[in-house]
Amino acid sequence: MSTLGGVATQHRSFFAVLALINSAQLAMTSKQTLSDWRASALQLEQQINHVVVGQQAAVRNLLIAVFARGHVLLEGQVGVGKTTLLRAIAQGLGGHYQRIEGTIDLMPADLIYYTYLNQEGRPCVDPGPLLKQGEQLSVFFFNEINRARPQVHSLLLRVMAERSIGAFNREYRMPHIQVFADRNRVEKEETFELPAAARDRFFMEININTPSDDKVLDDLLFNPRYHDVDALIGEMAPSQMPYYQLNDWAAAIQNSIQPSAALRQYALDLWKATADPGAFGIALADVEIGNLLQAGASPRGVSYMIRAAKVRAWLENRDSLLPEDLQAVFAVTMSHRIFLNPMYSYRQDDIIPTLIASILNQIAAP
Amino acid sequence: MTLAAKRLGCGLAWVCVTLLAACSGSSTQALRDFQMQTPRPFGYVIGDTIPQRIVLETRAGMALERNSLPTPGRLNRWLQLNAVTVQELAGSDGKRYQIDLLYQQFYAPLEVKALSIPCFTLRFQQQGQTLEQPVAAWTFTAAPLRELVVRQDQHGEYLRPDQAPPLLDDAVMVRRLYVALTVALGIALRLAWLYGYLPGLPKRSVFKRAQRQLQTLGLPQLPQALAALHTAFNGLHGKPVFLHKLTEFYQSHPEYRSIADELAWFFDYSNRYFFADASIQSQEQDLQKLKAVCRHCREIERGSR
Repeated sequence: MSTLGGVATQHRSFFAVLALINSAQLAMTSKQTLSDWRASALQLEQQINHVVVGQQAAVRNLLIAVFARGHVLLEGQVGVGKTTLLRAIAQGLGGHYQRIEGTIDLMPADLIYYTYLNQEGRPCVDPGPLLKQGEQLSVFFFNEINRARPQVHSLLLRVMAERSIGAFNREYRMPHIQVFADRNRVEKEETFELPAAARDRFFMEININTPSDDKVLDDLLFNPRYHDVDALIGEMAPSQMPYYQLNDWAAAIQNSIQPSAALRQYALDLWKATADPGAFGIALADVEIGNLLQAGASPRGVSYMIRAAKVRAWLENRDSLLPEDLQAVFAVTMSHRIFLNPMYSYRQDDIIPTLIASILNQIAAP
Repeated sequence: MTLAAKRLGCGLAWVCVTLLAACSGSSTQALRDFQMQTPRPFGYVIGDTIPQRIVLETRAGMALERNSLPTPGRLNRWLQLNAVTVQELAGSDGKRYQIDLLYQQFYAPLEVKALSIPCFTLRFQQQGQTLEQPVAAWTFTAAPLRELVVRQDQHGEYLRPDQAPPLLDDAVMVRRLYVALTVALGIALRLAWLYGYLPGLPKRSVFKRAQRQLQTLGLPQLPQALAALHTAFNGLHGKPVFLHKLTEFYQSHPEYRSIADELAWFFDYSNRYFFADASIQSQEQDLQKLKAVCRHCREIERGSR
């Protein structure tokens, strides 16, 4: 009996060793794969930066959003290259892309189907931009989103949150869709402000500003290369990324990085500070800090921040999450999730960046 | 009666001397001038000083014999000679002397009383000959400080308070004292600033506090040790310092650039310790290195590096 028992123990330990070796190999393979993916991600970033110059920070944030599978709202002046940037990304990601312009008379049905009379004079119904490519739709542009009506916004909310849509008595799934919307901040007439729920569903809100470097401006001004956007986008090698794998990549990236206890505490402090800055000793000029906020960041918003930070750590070739990762993505993931009291909202453009900077400058880690 | 006899004796002696002087021509010729300058002869009380000045002029070849002057010290029961100064000036022919005598009397009379400073004789040398010049006794009256029978009132014995003593002129000394104190205070402040003792300037002593904390911490308390040093940096900079923000830190505190390597090590180590997976094994040498970083920061803080 004792001999048999000994053999059984030996077998057990042998299998345990085998399992260990197996998991170690798996981990190595996964590390290798992650590193390969990083190389192609950085290559994509480089290509986009070559096409859209002077927007390195925005490109980096967009890249983070792509690998965190989050929807992005771009905001900026007219003609700073928002659409070009999105087209470049769509080109780099491959898959199908659709684009729609927000107008005041756009209705949800216009996204789902359109009707026409065919050559024989018979009425026909064809799928609209959202359904046309089926599951292969990877990038959906929504230009001038604030010109569309709230009905359209709510349809978009469902697409963004669930990546599916109900039409023609069935459900259509779009598992790889990523929504990029933009709005210009110049005009306020005939626009509909996005509701808080819609803004919260956007992973990031990225501001695109005119580049400040004189050399870049000179290049943009006189280099004919930038005058023809189609040719410019055409310079990019198409489809370097298998868009249908991005969801798996994103999950692998999220699983590969485990934040430490100290970092969890730091993230928690950052979150609490967005809800009650006064408790962390944050004070702003001409602001009664206790009455400043209507609502701080939502749990979804903070989880988005952590997702983004993990992707950044991966892009920086680290398998640990550092405070600098959180700091790098804090503004883009949090700015549109902090809601000010109406008495301060007209100063929003000044207060929010100052508040974000103060929070980052006040909270220490460890 | 005894005093009257003494006075009479002295007076007789004076008359004799005058007569002698009148008789012998050489003696009158010996001194061209002899003056005794005395103050008021009345109204003295116990402890008063009485200055006397003798001014005399000799003929050529005559010299005052200094040991004929009375020596300072107690002359009798109630009289003391405090000082004798002799000034010798060149006269037109002979020599001119100015002798200052300062007496102090300690007689406590019960009523107004005549007292006398005793006479003495000055001697002069002239070609081996000795000439004498008597200085007459000087009489003055001393008065008691208070009545014989002291009045009594309800507070007991009636006495007036003593006169406040005159103060010495100390303006120069006081000014010097103030200057010295100011300088000492300045030095003390400077030292306190350097050593970080000034409570109003906590930024000057952040690393001092961190160092004090670190001294008590061992390897098991490495997180606290790291946190103490982080707190010091954050306190100095006014906002959190991170590895990727060291450049910004150096811009506002360029003096720490000299230990940039050590600081980079510290922030990287802290990042790995707190945020990387738990694979990092803390070692004693890391703690020692940490303490060294803190020590160097402290040296920079107090300006000795």
